[in-house]
Amino acid sequence: MLENLFKDLSLIYPEIIVSVTLLLVVLFDLIYDKNKTIIPYLGLIGLFAALFYSLGSVDIETHAFIIGDTGNKFGLLSLDPFGNYFRIIILITSILIIFFTKSSSEIHSISERSGEFYTLLLGMVLGMMFMVSASDLIMIYISVEILSLSSYVLTGFTKLRDRDSEASLKYLIYGSASSGIMLFGMSLIYGLIGSTNIYEINEVLQTTSINSIIYSFALILIFAGIGFKISAAPFHFWTPDVYEGAPISITAFLSVASKAAGFALLIRFVKVTFLADNIEGNWILLQGFDWQNFLIIISVLTMTLGNFAALWQDNLKRMLAYSSIAHAGYMLLGIAVLTDQGLLAVMIYFLVYLLMNIGAFYIVMIIANNIGSENINDYNKLGSAAPFLGVSLTIFLISLTGLPPTAGFISKLYIFIALLDVKMIAVAVIAVLNSVVSLYYYIRVLKHMFINETDKTVPEIKVSLNDVVFILILLVPTLILGVYFSPIVDFAQAFLSILVN
Amino acid sequence: MELYDIIFYLFAAITIGSAIVVVNSKNIVHAAFSLLLTFFGVSGIYVLLGADFIAVVQIMVYVGGILILLLFGVMLTNRITNVDIRSGSIQVIPAIIGLAIFTAILFWTMTSTNWKSEKFELPTTTAFQIGDILLSEYVLIFELLGILLLIALIGAASIARRDKE
Repeated sequence: MLENLFKDLSLIYPEIIVSVTLLLVVLFDLIYDKNKTIIPYLGLIGLFAALFYSLGSVDIETHAFIIGDTGNKFGLLSLDPFGNYFRIIILITSILIIFFTKSSSEIHSISERSGEFYTLLLGMVLGMMFMVSASDLIMIYISVEILSLSSYVLTGFTKLRDRDSEASLKYLIYGSASSGIMLFGMSLIYGLIGSTNIYEINEVLQTTSINSIIYSFALILIFAGIGFKISAAPFHFWTPDVYEGAPISITAFLSVASKAAGFALLIRFVKVTFLADNIEGNWILLQGFDWQNFLIIISVLTMTLGNFAALWQDNLKRMLAYSSIAHAGYMLLGIAVLTDQGLLAVMIYFLVYLLMNIGAFYIVMIIANNIGSENINDYNKLGSAAPFLGVSLTIFLISLTGLPPTAGFISKLYIFIALLDVKMIAVAVIAVLNSVVSLYYYIRVLKHMFINETDKTVPEIKVSLNDVVFILILLVPTLILGVYFSPIVDFAQAFLSILVN
Repeated sequence: MELYDIIFYLFAAITIGSAIVVVNSKNIVHAAFSLLLTFFGVSGIYVLLGADFIAVVQIMVYVGGILILLLFGVMLTNRITNVDIRSGSIQVIPAIIGLAIFTAILFWTMTSTNWKSEKFELPTTTAFQIGDILLSEYVLIFELLGILLLIALIGAASIARRDKE
């Protein structure tokens, strides 16, 4: 028993490192009451160490924390390259976000509370890291709760404006309702099958037939919880308010890392629990619930709603919130095709989405630091006042639209290839039309920045060397990967395998 | 209908009835006291299910701890009776329709489903087994719950603290 425990613990070093860092941050916050500058660096050291371990454990593919007697082989976690890939994405995002917070003036204004801020940030990271490898419904629920509780507080952390607290409260109420709904769905599944482990559920489903109505009902309830995390329609309604009210660094974190964790959870849940057979990369799912059509409907709804609602937004954070809903829609299509090709597309998409989305949010943050506004009308002529920011934002937005020669084009291309592989022409056409719609609201920002005249004097925008370096770190890969993309495809390909029965 | 069912419905009625009072009462003290009955009803259902440990924890933590603190908070707050608590209802008809459909689906599925069941001797006490598995097989869950509580504590302290002007 104890030997197993030590063996299992050695498999989750990255998670342990993050937990220890979290506790150290709490301790340092208490000991060094006056000087808080060390805390972000402490977090960075922990995250880099965790990233180092994750990159080193590429070939691990095993079940950990096995429940029950010796004959049992399934446990609370399943560690495989797929989970590791998303763990790496989450850790890279977290490291970038810590640099992000260091140049955000919103976070500087609460610097005496930065101990709590980074504790909660690490709490989010920890929850997400367990989400991507959880293989037991109990584990899934607890990791989602760790993520949620930390993000509720961080959303309203600055308390600068009324809308911050409003966003936090809304997130809390909707979030706890949706996790309650998910828990109810899980309890129904447990009542039907008699197990909480998704591998055991798969074994039972392979041999017995289940009353399909209550089964679908339970699955939809569980999807409500996961869909809330990835802001898929119709569970997306919290996204614009929360993204607008939260500090920009947290908004960027929620839109990339939290979504990545939700997607990893959804993919593992769908593939492991319902897989009957895997023929040359095509997943044959068990009868009873039509995941393919369900996911297609959800994703078409999500991207259409996201893109059309974004058309009317004047606040850039809100616009990027709707754009992130739309991107969740494209990525859901990658799951809906139920092939390894689609999975590869989602994995590539996340790597690219990380670069371009954090980049766009970072520039919005610098401009908000200087002019104190995220309104599109205050962006008039900013492109000529700060040419570097203007050009960088242009590239990030073009990448978000999915036009060549940026990396955003490659990620969309792979989604479309996956769709055409399984002959979903109509869905692919809808996705392309959606991209055309999205072009309008992304380009509208550029029109304000470069073309619109303004009667006010154009404010001066200060860009420090740190900002330039940070933006270039995100910008250069966005451009290079748009032309020379085989490295990310190879990288994602190496992490494709999910542990299944 | 056996005695077991009657007791179950009794506790269920107590739970739901008092929960409705909690939501609808305009007086915050009444609401807090009704919450006591809600917690009590839930713990009664736990006892019926043979989960003695959880039932005791429910009474001790919720009734003995949280609710007492809540009542202290309510009674020590100044001008508590003057606070205008809004407890109106909007969109009553759509809500009733939605609720009716949801209840119908639930009721129909609950009664028509073959729930997985196994013959099992009810243990005289569950505390020992819960302690055993929480610190052996489910030790990861146990540790994570510790971190979850730490985060909740830090988050709550962070929300409650008064900002310097």
